[in-house]
Amino acid sequence: MSNKVCFMLVHPDYTLDGFRSCLGLAVENMYSYAVALNNELPALDDYNKENIDWIRDMEGEVYSNVPANCEKEGFEPLTIEELGQKLRDMDVIVPYGMMPE
Amino acid sequence: MKILNVYRTAPTADVKKLVEIVSEGREADAFDLNVDAPDYDALVDKVLGADQTICWW
Amino acid sequence: MAKSLGIFVTSPRNMRHVMGVTKAAKAKGCKVKVFFSWKGTELTKTPEFPELCNIADDVSICADSYKKVGFDPADIPEGLTDKEMATQAQHGAIIEDYDCYMTL
Repeated sequence: MSNKVCFMLVHPDYTLDGFRSCLGLAVENMYSYAVALNNELPALDDYNKENIDWIRDMEGEVYSNVPANCEKEGFEPLTIEELGQKLRDMDVIVPYGMMPE
Repeated sequence: MKILNVYRTAPTADVKKLVEIVSEGREADAFDLNVDAPDYDALVDKVLGADQTICWW
Repeated sequence: MAKSLGIFVTSPRNMRHVMGVTKAAKAKGCKVKVFFSWKGTELTKTPEFPELCNIADDVSICADSYKKVGFDPADIPEGLTDKEMATQAQHGAIIEDYDCYMTL
């Protein structure tokens, strides 16, 4: 059975690379999800948009609790409480990078 | 399901909330890495004994 | 039987923890694999990195990350070989093939 993995991305300097890493597991046939928490992304270039599209194409998803990310980039909205419930269903939980200063 | 929550820094309010939800109804343990001299031997014992380890930021 | 432990390193601040956990796990007979990605690859420049490569069973880094954080991919860190300048598939291998998982 394929592992379910969730990347939690809290630092603006790490979020875009977190999507790349999330895609890296999706192509390894895992259900790979990413959540941008408490950080608003800059306008995404084609490379990063493609990474996100690929995650979705591989049956993963990209979420955020920041409304601007959902409005601008089409991320699925998710509250902290909803994320907590989702994490209960994950095989691997990845708090990626570090907390911002 | 036995969960080990490892804290690399002091947990924020969001982290505390997530830990509470993830750990609810499960056997949960914790380890604080945010100290001068962590007991890595004890940490590894806990990791090896857990079904899932979450290393929060 | 001793378990195996995989460590995914994405923060440049945790080398002491990577070393501490790896030494403790090896002392218990565990097989240990460490994979460095994104800003975690900055730790290849720490004095402890070559020692880590000696202690752990398998150490590799994301070559793409190494380049993106500003290092020359031709400058292979001491302790690694060209083969260990790898991809995110190494993270997948940790999840698939190792009993225990940590993110540092």
